[in-house]
Amino acid sequence: MAVLELNQVTKSFGTGHKKVDALKETHFQAEKGELIAVIGPSGSGKSTFLTIAGGLQTPTDGEVIINNQNITKLSEQKRSKIRLQEIGFILQASNLVPFLTVRNQMKLLDQVKKNNMSKEELTQLYNGLGISDLLDKYPADLSGGERQRVAIAKALYSNPSILLADEPTASLDSDRAYEVMELLQRETKSKNTTTIVVTHDTRLISYCDKVYKMTDGDIKLEEN
Amino acid sequence: MFLAWNEIKKNKLRFILITGVLMLVSYLVFFLSGLASGLENLNREAVDKWEATAIVVTEESDKSMPQSSMTLDALDDIEAKDKAVIGQLNAIATNGGKKANVAIFGIHKDEFIMPKVSEGETFSADNDVIASDSLMEDGFEIGDKLELSSTDETLTIVGFTEDARFNAAPVLYGDFSTFQRVKFGEAAEANKDQMNGIVLRTDNLSDVTDNDALEVVEIEEFITSLPGYTEQSLTLSFMIYFLFIISSVIVAIFLYVLTVQKISMFGVMKAQGISNGYLSRSVVAQTFILAIIGVAVGFALALITGAFLPGAVPVSFDIATMIIYGAILIAVAIIGAVFSVWTIVKIDPLKAIGG
Repeated sequence: MAVLELNQVTKSFGTGHKKVDALKETHFQAEKGELIAVIGPSGSGKSTFLTIAGGLQTPTDGEVIINNQNITKLSEQKRSKIRLQEIGFILQASNLVPFLTVRNQMKLLDQVKKNNMSKEELTQLYNGLGISDLLDKYPADLSGGERQRVAIAKALYSNPSILLADEPTASLDSDRAYEVMELLQRETKSKNTTTIVVTHDTRLISYCDKVYKMTDGDIKLEEN
Repeated sequence: MFLAWNEIKKNKLRFILITGVLMLVSYLVFFLSGLASGLENLNREAVDKWEATAIVVTEESDKSMPQSSMTLDALDDIEAKDKAVIGQLNAIATNGGKKANVAIFGIHKDEFIMPKVSEGETFSADNDVIASDSLMEDGFEIGDKLELSSTDETLTIVGFTEDARFNAAPVLYGDFSTFQRVKFGEAAEANKDQMNGIVLRTDNLSDVTDNDALEVVEIEEFITSLPGYTEQSLTLSFMIYFLFIISSVIVAIFLYVLTVQKISMFGVMKAQGISNGYLSRSVVAQTFILAIIGVAVGFALALITGAFLPGAVPVSFDIATMIIYGAILIAVAIIGAVFSVWTIVKIDPLKAIGG
């Protein structure tokens, strides 16, 4: 059964002759344990796709279903709750709070979320991401790659069913980028979650189960 | 609280600055409230000392004791639990070296407005007086012979009493007959039943008198009618009220700037699903912490300053009033934070993350 489903979703901005279709009619499904890449040049609508899938904005038409729940018509407050419980975001801009240590970044989530991770699970998460030694550091003291790993740890905290990553490797060199992709792959398989990575970096597609290509708001599955 | 406190810890300097501003504003508020109550005491001490309910003066005096003149017969028209007659006049007294503007109260020793003697003894002989201890600070002593303006009589200080100033003038308490001699001189005998008012203690104010020529004035109203009293306290009160508004605005501006700087951070947190409620509570909690610290330090500074000021500055701290003002300051600071809460609620997570 699909964890994430987009049915006949469109998104357009503006009206009349100024109307821009950021997303043409889209059908999309993602299953458990899948690592999916959505690639395309900038301006092709990847980010729009990702933010609609993550409930950050509502589509002009169509419906988004997360774990059997249609979120299209929900209020911002309810969608916010779904984002908190079901979805892990890894954002292009670092999603770390500058004045919290790595440990406290997690503690913040601990305060606002339900079904929290136990100490053991958390230690495991830290070890898996190789950030156990960084726990008392502030984001400003971390390298780009370390920051991205902490961001992933945040996204993975308390096991969301969907992980949405917007250019997770944008600020990293090739080696680091591969490292991050391996990590996402491992987490997706071991925790049986769904990960969608939006990127323009075609080097990363070898890690993915499915690759979609996005051109001018049109999303198409690439056959391998 | 978690988010609020961690941010303060990490960005000490900027929060010390806000707290510093709050501290200065609250220091000023507390100090002004000290000055206000000091000035009020200067005017009302002697009246508060009576612990009376009301005073009867003539209707035509417009609540002013010096302008009120009646005869002892008026006592028969008054119905009250305790009654005390009072004669009052102002004069300049000098002991040869120092001069002071004084108020002379003529009273009966056995009536309730008789003050407690803190030093020396009570008046017994003709022209003996008990003086306000503020005269002692001005260099007057027990045994001083006081020459008065407007009369040939001399008074002798036999004792002191605490907290006895009336409309900023130290009070000399003497027997009613002493007052008569000072006021009327040769004609004292002919005017021996002339007095200024009757001070009362009663539970039933409305039934005190049915004499239309007399007016029963409640003590608080009598005090606010003292010349200059209301004007002085209003001036300082207005300054204090303005400071409340100013501190609210300052906090609002500071927090707003801080919040605007953090818009993208709040946006990211909102994208992750952290609720407006949590973020707003955090900002309010932060304001609360800063305001408490600022007000507490301002409070301490005001008390310390008060302790080191020369006696000529009429400052007296009324802790209960200060606590109320402190609470108001904290409350208005939190009102200032509302702006930032509103900004946070309006942040669109989508825009903030550059989607």
